[in-house]
Amino acid sequence: MEEIGFLGMGIMGKAMSMNLLRHGFKLTVWNRTLSRCDELVEHGATIGENPAAVVKKCKYTIGMLSDPAAALSVAFDKDGVLEQMGPGKGYIDMSTVDAETSSKISEAITSKGGYYLEAPVSGSKKPAEDGQLVILAAGEKALYEEILPAFDVLGKKSFFLGQVGNGAKMKLVVNMIMGSMMNAFSEGLVLADKSGLNSQTLLDVLDLGAIANPMFKLKGPSMIQSSYSPAFPLKHQQKDMRLALALGDENAVPMPVAAAAK
Amino acid sequence: MEMAKTLMVNANCRNHLSFSAILNSPKNTKFSFSKTMSMCSSFCPRASSSTPKDELPARIGFLGLGIMGSPMAQNLIKAGCDVTVWNRTKSKCDPLISLGAKYKSSPEEVAASCDVTFSMLADPESAVEVACGNHGAAGGMSPGKGYVDVSTVDGATSTSISSRIKSTGALYLEAPVSGSKKPAEDGQLIFLTAGDKSLYETAAPLLDIMGKSRFYLGDVGNGAAMKLVVNMIMGSMMASFSEGLLLSEKVGLDPSTLVEVISQGAISSPMYSTKGPSMVQSLYPTAFPLKHQQKDLRLALGLAESVSQPTPIAAAANELYKVAKSRGLSNQDFSAVIEALKVARFGGQTSSFSSETRVSRRRSVRRGACASA
Repeated sequence: MEEIGFLGMGIMGKAMSMNLLRHGFKLTVWNRTLSRCDELVEHGATIGENPAAVVKKCKYTIGMLSDPAAALSVAFDKDGVLEQMGPGKGYIDMSTVDAETSSKISEAITSKGGYYLEAPVSGSKKPAEDGQLVILAAGEKALYEEILPAFDVLGKKSFFLGQVGNGAKMKLVVNMIMGSMMNAFSEGLVLADKSGLNSQTLLDVLDLGAIANPMFKLKGPSMIQSSYSPAFPLKHQQKDMRLALALGDENAVPMPVAAAAK
Repeated sequence: MEMAKTLMVNANCRNHLSFSAILNSPKNTKFSFSKTMSMCSSFCPRASSSTPKDELPARIGFLGLGIMGSPMAQNLIKAGCDVTVWNRTKSKCDPLISLGAKYKSSPEEVAASCDVTFSMLADPESAVEVACGNHGAAGGMSPGKGYVDVSTVDGATSTSISSRIKSTGALYLEAPVSGSKKPAEDGQLIFLTAGDKSLYETAAPLLDIMGKSRFYLGDVGNGAAMKLVVNMIMGSMMASFSEGLLLSEKVGLDPSTLVEVISQGAISSPMYSTKGPSMVQSLYPTAFPLKHQQKDLRLALGLAESVSQPTPIAAAANELYKVAKSRGLSNQDFSAVIEALKVARFGGQTSSFSSETRVSRRRSVRRGACASA
């Protein structure tokens, strides 16, 4: 496959890029703090000095930024993606943003003759490392089909959800449920502890029943120990809850549990 | 008998897995069923010389034959146990009588004629009434007997039933379960017990017939608390899942796709995968009545208050279940809580997931409510 550009070497971007490199993809990477690219270079990636340089070099460029502001900045700022976007090039934004931000970027990309695909992921650090992400794509179907070989390495399942905005919305809904679940789980762990129960026993009981899930299994033990090494930074979860509630407000959907969780 | 003795010794150990493994896998095949029966009819409560204490329970009582009690009692009977039943509405006893159960007309008589009596009632009030009320089980209890209350109640209720039972010289075990209708039918319940350890050990082989695992959690109150914590998390999870399904549909996504996406990821759970598809159809076949989920949340909030812990998520979820109850959904499955989030239109009918067909299908489900109960 053609060389792929990758913008954003955070928790996710770095793990995803390493995974692509391991599977023989040629990558040109960029990060706001360039030093984070060093490990990628050791494993065969080239560095681009800014997003525009990366897009100039590569047919396909993936962005993995932390929030709407960063995603917009990388697209619109000086030396950003748009400067070098043009016919024949594709931009795949895998950041988790609201539908409006995604639409804005999409319009700008397509008005330059480029193709756009939003493709936020479900899954955090370990699934990223293991190529077990769930990819929620929407936008240009042709670009989705062309980038699928990369998606197949990055994830265990990809969905094409239709028009731009649908991927963003799906991601927000999933993360809203997740945020509420984590809160409910926390309430339970604390209540068990305060009631004189053994927290590990609660985890064992949960794992046997209908509400057993990988997140509880993975996070439970460290939550009991009160150690929280970041696979999914809390600030991003709070960002997702806020965006999900805004989506609910726009559509007049009552969500009292999500509101309590935020 | 050799095999029976070996099984009994295994069952009385903390590590009961070998015994459970024999009984429980693969449970749904004819072969394992008859294997279970042949093993159980030889082990299930006959006196065994390998046990150091009192005799194993020969005669088992079962009070309360609702959604849970009926399949649980049936599993005991099918395993070859000598079971005597009672239910407030006598007709519910008939299927069990035709399987070979005996019948007595009051909890007191059942308890008096049995060694270990189980009870499975809907709420604290019924549990107290059956144990301590007029012609209640306590009246038939005496030294050497045991009372195992499998109902989900608050700690104070369990403690008060315990006192009453133990005042007769009998032993008491609270043993609420995690698992609803299907796990009850399949003998896959999870028992969260607390109370008299020796009764726990005596009852263990019976719990292993009805369940896939059991926990002994210490003093009376601990089993009740554990159950309430688990169901508090579950009730909140179902409420937030409902919010997500509704939101996805409102913003133009296919809620079935949401269910599929969830099943692939970190928050995938059996509950979501099982209930999601029917919720999308606005169908709520009753495995766990919504009124009981709300009762559990209410009791959990009480527990939280007693230890001064704020629980905003559970509180928000509880309000939704209360709204659902006020809409007449008490006897639907607790997944019907999603209806509480839908906007009520004129005439009290709520908007469904848009199609005419679904609205009319839901109306007929409501009329024939609890057909599956």
